[in-house]
Amino acid sequence: MISFPLLSAIVFWPLAGGLFVLAFWRYPQVGHRIALGAASVELLLVVSLLLLDLHPQGADGWLMIEDLPWIAQYGVRYSLGLDGISLILLCLTALLGVIAILASWEQISQRPGVFYFMLLFTQSAVMGVFLATDLFLFYLFWEMQLIPMLFLVGIWGHEKRIYAALKFFLFNIAGGLLMLAALIGLYLLHGRQTGDYSFALSQLMQTRPAPVLEMWLYGAFLLAFAIKIPIFPLHGWLPDAHTEAPTAGSIILAGLLLKTGAYALLRIAIPLFPGAAHRLMPLLLILGLVGIVYASLVALGQKDMKRLVAYSSIGHMGLIVLGLAVWDSLTLSGAVLQMVNHGITTAALFIMVGMLDERFHTRTLADFGGLWKSMPIFSAFFLLFAMASLGMPGLNNFVSEFLILVGVFRAHPVIGSLAFTTIVLTLIYVLKLVQDTLFGPEKQQHCRDLSFREWIILLTLALAVIANGLYPQPILTLVHGPVQHLIDQAGIITLPEAGSMMAK
Amino acid sequence: MKTTLIILLLAPLLGALYQIIAGSRFPRRLAEVVSCAVILVSFVMATVAFFLPGRPETILLYNWINVDTFSAGMDIHFDALAAIMTLMVTFVSSLITIYSVSYMDQDLDYSRYFAYLNLFVFFMLIIVLADNLLFLFLGWEGVGFCSYALIGFHYQELANARAGRKAFLLTRIGDVGLGIAISLFFVTCHSLSISTINAQAATLSAGTAMTLGFLLFWSATGKSAQLPLLVWLPDAMAGPTPVSALIHAATMVTAGVYLLIRLFPVVSRTPEVLLTIAIVGTVTAFYAACAAMVQKDLKRVLAYSTISQVGYMFLAIGVGDIIGSMFHLLTHAFFKSLLFLAAGAVIHALHDERDISRMGEAVRRHLPVVFLVFLAGSLALGGEPPTAGFFSKGRILLATLQHGGMVYKAVWVGATCTAFLTTLYTFRLFFMVFTGKPAVPHQGFIREVPPLMVWVLWPLALFALFAGFCNLPYLQAGGGWLSRFLATTPGAVPDLQAAPSLEWVVENGDSLLAIVGLILAYFLYGPKNILGWRTADASAGRATALLLSGFGLDRLYATLLVRPYEGISRFLWHTVDESVLDRGLLRSVKMLPLLAGGLQGWTTGLLSTSLKMLVLGFTAFLVFLAF
Amino acid sequence: MIVSYGEILLLAICLFFMGMICVVTRRNLLMILIGVEIMLNAAGIAFVGAALRWHSLDGQAFVLFLMAVAASEVAVGLALIVYAHRHSGTLNGDGYNLMKG
Repeated sequence: MISFPLLSAIVFWPLAGGLFVLAFWRYPQVGHRIALGAASVELLLVVSLLLLDLHPQGADGWLMIEDLPWIAQYGVRYSLGLDGISLILLCLTALLGVIAILASWEQISQRPGVFYFMLLFTQSAVMGVFLATDLFLFYLFWEMQLIPMLFLVGIWGHEKRIYAALKFFLFNIAGGLLMLAALIGLYLLHGRQTGDYSFALSQLMQTRPAPVLEMWLYGAFLLAFAIKIPIFPLHGWLPDAHTEAPTAGSIILAGLLLKTGAYALLRIAIPLFPGAAHRLMPLLLILGLVGIVYASLVALGQKDMKRLVAYSSIGHMGLIVLGLAVWDSLTLSGAVLQMVNHGITTAALFIMVGMLDERFHTRTLADFGGLWKSMPIFSAFFLLFAMASLGMPGLNNFVSEFLILVGVFRAHPVIGSLAFTTIVLTLIYVLKLVQDTLFGPEKQQHCRDLSFREWIILLTLALAVIANGLYPQPILTLVHGPVQHLIDQAGIITLPEAGSMMAK
Repeated sequence: MKTTLIILLLAPLLGALYQIIAGSRFPRRLAEVVSCAVILVSFVMATVAFFLPGRPETILLYNWINVDTFSAGMDIHFDALAAIMTLMVTFVSSLITIYSVSYMDQDLDYSRYFAYLNLFVFFMLIIVLADNLLFLFLGWEGVGFCSYALIGFHYQELANARAGRKAFLLTRIGDVGLGIAISLFFVTCHSLSISTINAQAATLSAGTAMTLGFLLFWSATGKSAQLPLLVWLPDAMAGPTPVSALIHAATMVTAGVYLLIRLFPVVSRTPEVLLTIAIVGTVTAFYAACAAMVQKDLKRVLAYSTISQVGYMFLAIGVGDIIGSMFHLLTHAFFKSLLFLAAGAVIHALHDERDISRMGEAVRRHLPVVFLVFLAGSLALGGEPPTAGFFSKGRILLATLQHGGMVYKAVWVGATCTAFLTTLYTFRLFFMVFTGKPAVPHQGFIREVPPLMVWVLWPLALFALFAGFCNLPYLQAGGGWLSRFLATTPGAVPDLQAAPSLEWVVENGDSLLAIVGLILAYFLYGPKNILGWRTADASAGRATALLLSGFGLDRLYATLLVRPYEGISRFLWHTVDESVLDRGLLRSVKMLPLLAGGLQGWTTGLLSTSLKMLVLGFTAFLVFLAF
Repeated sequence: MIVSYGEILLLAICLFFMGMICVVTRRNLLMILIGVEIMLNAAGIAFVGAALRWHSLDGQAFVLFLMAVAASEVAVGLALIVYAHRHSGTLNGDGYNLMKG
């Protein structure tokens, strides 16, 4: 056991860094440097986790835990736990934290100190969500993400920012409150059943509520997480929030916040209520599939580039939902990998749209054309990320999408086959995005290509895209143990499915 | 052997990386040399590997994806089939890369071009060599991307970019089939390795095998531009001509055929699949030959002819003769890339003039060498004895005739008619480009063609004329050299074992047909314009207009698929997403204050109200405490 | 003791209610502030009376605190009122509805 509370350090370091930035609010010219420093240290901390020789310990297979009593009267504990899934998501969070700060280097001129504080604050909250194993603590982090995000969109956003920010906030707070109600219900139930009042995930998992009650509780959790993912038809807040958010906001939103939804569904909702989850799996399966098709279709019609990417995001998250709904080792590994990959690819696309917005002050597709002529390096990167987004083999998204699709196909051949059309549907709108911006006659005045800072951002992401596409095995190995553990925990879900499949 | 194969595969990738990273920073000459050198290295390695002993060789590069039972490695399976295909691919692409150096002489964006070109060769080699289907899929999609990027290479013309997009889209519709097929292979065979799958093919249930066969065929129709997914290939001619020669004639479009050949044990499990392949191949061949009869654009004629010839390869697979299919694939690669490259030289000389009604004798006078090699290519494509095309097509026709069943007899009739049409349109093209007076004279002078562009045509011309001798069917017992070489391929039938009399009739009938076709073409389209068809306006008649547009398939798809799709997209966005989901939700949110209408009066925000409330509240609290 | 603790409490209650009525019914911000002061002083009287009644100095000490609080409250309150008056030109408490949700 390591005495230094590394996990707590990872959770709270960005917040501390943020406060430090805030202390320098009078000197806007140093704010972003401090923030970058703080985020880089955070990245180093997370990377140090990778370098430590960690082994699963205990029955739950955590790589590392921290557990302290907090509010003893109510059995609330401050407990953090790290396993392969959270580790890989921490890496993503830390990386995108640095990228988000670099991406807003020149975009944010108004109150930069507060902006970077909010950014780092969100990062802290997201880290907390990925690590918390006490549900009360989890809930705190869960709601904590919303507040800085509300301000990020509401203050530094584009034209309709207030509307978008409020919509985002209301949707998510509504879900959060439902979850809180269900959580308290579960807590009391567990306490009454066992006499041990506790919010610990591993404890609550032992609870066996009556089927109807379980359905209600699961429903509340599912709703909260479905809004965040978002699952069709609860996605209404996402396009607006993305369109209006500043680039860094979009990165955090798409790269991290959506992932917390999927992660929570995977780690909390389904293992807590395996029975109800199993009964609602067909619903998730259908919603996931409909979401993919629907988002792809709607994305095609978009005129605003950011909205297009936002809808593509819904489609890609739909695949994760499919993966969770099938719940076997292939799809779950694929889903976790897809969380990482989607985070990288979509963040890159948002960054690139943001770069165009900075240069031309428009995001309307019709205003663009023939960018390749004046910005060849930018265009090459854009093409790369677009190809990654449409699932070109050899790039990151392909691996995860294919794992999910194969897994879905194995469990439900018809739905799997239908889901395979996603590779065409995605292609249609991504090619439209590429064609309308990069190709055709040049429509806007000549413009400078990438600056060194932008080049570094994109190169980092591009390397991640290619590395994950060609050699995803380290991540898959890392994720394999926890995934197996999750499947064992909620084992009753797959058994009947697998049985019926064998019979076929 | 191992090193050879790895160098063979990776050299083009290194070349592409060089172009991407450093291509435009160093002198142009260096980029050109590098791009040619890496392909030549590949070619040399392919030759070395061809002669080295130790086939079949399987090499695992590394484990790509490995989750539970699902494992996909990047691995190479080098057998006779892969050996001969690699040799062809690297040979043709070396020549075309060298040709490109001259062709792209004026283009400033050379490093992008060579990057895509090298990358394409890399992906194509993956298709040829891969043992794991997922690795093959990597190459499969990769060539699709390169084709997309190269068709739209001159991106400033929106039409080019559109053609590229169309090609990508239609081939990817086919890829859906391959994706599903891979999943089904995983579920049924628990392996994605082609050699394992082929070994297990016999144990598959009939239903699964049929599904798999149709899925594979579906994906092949996309890549190889067969009905119904063929409309992209004529448009793909928007790309630079060397690209058309390499991707859309010699290599990528035949990838579908190659896939079916590689997985032939699975495909051939069910006769229904084979029959479908044969029929679709023949119908496509006939359809495209008809369309090629009236095209006015030099490259479009060749494009339709490619579709038609690939149809023959499908037919060969459909009758179970994969060696015949492979034979035609090879000869076609030589003579079609030759024709394309020669056409590229003509187009280059005429300042990008592609309308054949504006060409004529002047072209021959200025480009005598091109005229000669084009003639060689035309003879091969037209199936004149004893060129390569004659032998390969002859074998396919013979195999079809020999394959029992009335349907196959009908297919044979169709294929033979198509062969006659092929001769006709080939020589129509030849006569119109190189002889007689143009209907509409070309404006401006004819420019010199760089010598490099002409030199590379010679080897191809030699192969187009003489490659057929590698597989002379009726001179040697047990098939020709190629048949014996490929005999170890799973499912191959080296010797058709046709009755000598039947063989004699078919071969001579084919020769006769080809010669008659040539003579007829001379009368119809020759320099003398004896029957006047030469100058006839192709878009005048209704029938010709229909043929010109490829039976209006494009418009059909636009009305049936594209527009409804866009309509649904708009409907979903505006009606469902914005009105129902979004505004509906907003409206219900706005209902909330109505519910709380009574409470609303309290929130005046006025100081006096708050104070009154405060006092009331405290009073209530005190009263509560008192009791 | 000349007056009983009950009488002192009565006085305090009267004062408190007068202050409260002043706070609730008047519209003028100044008058509201004065009302609050009266209420505070009523509480102070109750404290002093209690200190006498139980012979403990705690009550008187508390009154000192109360005075300090009242003084600072008046200072801040007056400053706010002056600012509000400058800003909007009115001392009418209902002229402000910024708190409306």
